[in-house]
Amino acid sequence: MHPELPREVAGPPEVKPVVEFHEVSKWYGNVIGINKLSVTVPAGVTGLLGPNGAGKSTLLQLATGQLYPSQGRVRVLGRGVWNNPSLNRHIGLCPEQDAFYEWMTGRDFVYTCARLGGLSRPAARDAAGRALETVGMTRHQDRAVRGYSKGMRQRTKLAQALVHDPDVLFLDEPFTGTDPVARRELMAIIRRLGAEGKSVLVSSHVLHEVQTLTPNIILLNRGRLVAEGHVRQIRDLIDKHPHHIVLVCDEYRRLAGRLLAWDDVEGVRVQARNRSVVVETHAPDAFYGRLPELALEDGLAIQEVYSDDDNLDAVFKYLVNK
Amino acid sequence: MKVASEAQSPTAEVLSAPRPHPAGQLSLVPLWALFVLTLRQHVHGRRWIVMAVLFLLPAGLAVLIRSTAPDAPPAVIEFLLAFMFIPQALLPLVALVYATGIIQDEQEEQTLTYLLIRPIPRWAIYLVKLLATLTTTIVLTAVFTALTYTAVYIGSSSGFADVSRRCLTAIWIHGLSVAAYCCLFGLIGLYTRRALVAGILYAAVIEGLLANLPFGLRFITVIYYARVLAYRSMDFTLTDHGRKVDLADAAWQLDVRNDPGLEGHPQLQACVLVLTIAGLACAAFGALLCARREFHVKTPEGS
Repeated sequence: MHPELPREVAGPPEVKPVVEFHEVSKWYGNVIGINKLSVTVPAGVTGLLGPNGAGKSTLLQLATGQLYPSQGRVRVLGRGVWNNPSLNRHIGLCPEQDAFYEWMTGRDFVYTCARLGGLSRPAARDAAGRALETVGMTRHQDRAVRGYSKGMRQRTKLAQALVHDPDVLFLDEPFTGTDPVARRELMAIIRRLGAEGKSVLVSSHVLHEVQTLTPNIILLNRGRLVAEGHVRQIRDLIDKHPHHIVLVCDEYRRLAGRLLAWDDVEGVRVQARNRSVVVETHAPDAFYGRLPELALEDGLAIQEVYSDDDNLDAVFKYLVNK
Repeated sequence: MKVASEAQSPTAEVLSAPRPHPAGQLSLVPLWALFVLTLRQHVHGRRWIVMAVLFLLPAGLAVLIRSTAPDAPPAVIEFLLAFMFIPQALLPLVALVYATGIIQDEQEEQTLTYLLIRPIPRWAIYLVKLLATLTTTIVLTAVFTALTYTAVYIGSSSGFADVSRRCLTAIWIHGLSVAAYCCLFGLIGLYTRRALVAGILYAAVIEGLLANLPFGLRFITVIYYARVLAYRSMDFTLTDHGRKVDLADAAWQLDVRNDPGLEGHPQLQACVLVLTIAGLACAAFGALLCARREFHVKTPEGS
């Protein structure tokens, strides 16, 4: 976690975390994958954000018991994950790698995964049919996986993760390589899973993808936790640092001059192209409180006010670049 | 942060929810599914075709020899193909190709993840896949050994009952040998990513060279026990111009002339026991290794 940011834990405080990382480090020789990470994932949909190489896949591999932590403790649903195969009945993983038993049909692949998950033949057949229907692959289920498009492959991977009806789902970059339509549909599926009571941890390096799925996020960078919690909480956390507010106004230059006189304004940047000014302040609440007076002044009709920091992209860039 | 009581926790409900099999119990369903999956993997792709073509070689050579040298005694052709070529070259090769990839192939093709995230203990993943590999290689060996015997003896004056008995004995010995090789190469496959190279070196140096030297070092080779087994359970002598010739004596360095009862060599039961115990030890060690180590599956992110 960022040393300057107070530690906050997301999610309803009454609910025990679904996934817990306690002081977890994972290194591969000299390379650090995860560095002293302590984080909890609440029930519901949570986004795991970070640039490539941030350690997202390592975190998910640790959470699904594929890797053993070099240090620390990982627990899912209150139980240790390493060498705990019975826990795998309760978790599903959609891995990042685009790997399949290519010679199988989609139905065969998902059915085989259901059987590997311990379902009897009839139950596995039904479950595979349901999972493929959930991800919209029923029409293509009898084609060989090797002939699938990227979007179809992602859906099929998601189907194998869902087929045994897990309670916790780990989705590693599920939107990678998908077209906008497939992406939208996958997002709808994930939102639906969350609404049905599944706990879903979705990793992505694209912020707007996660932003549309959930306000609960975990930000990772270089194997470290940068921040976690509700996007609003994170914005509150960075209120200690300059907060950017955009004011759109025809007389933006005069407005900039007025704002510079305010004590709580750290800086003002003029954006002539947008006819706006960007205000940098450490006290956004006080600033918003005084803004109506300014708007009432003659000739300074402020047409629009919005905070750049409401956009997760800005939060992410701000925190990660620190 | 407030911590929920157990009653409020969703985890307690989740873990007690009805499942196909209660937690902690090892179900046979995923194990059987894994066994079937591995068998299907073995019979898909070019590897299966290459192995079948290689195993057709002895039968093809038998047909070739019999058509070009009709006077060649079938017993000599049988010895050369079924007891020299197959155990020396084909059995280590088929075991090498199938067994070194038990885990490695899944790892390289990045499909291992689909197995690791199932309710199957890691040691069981290895053992079940090894069992499927043994099944494949033993069936392959049995079918093509029988085919070789058919090609060697069909149309000859040898009695069907005698040839069948010899064929079944050869299948049994080859099966035991290939099983031992599979267990050994499976273990090597867990130790090094260059298992094919290591296996080829092992087959060439240890099995190919040491087994043919009349020293105690050959006691560590699979092929030595297979040869003693064969010699103790089959007759490799034939009469050439009134002179009795023992085909195996010189070829296998058994020194039968000075030790006709093979007193200096293990008994039949001891050979079976050594190969079985060695195979089981390798399998158990492999399972233990598989249970304790982690497997890094490459991800596009590369983390």
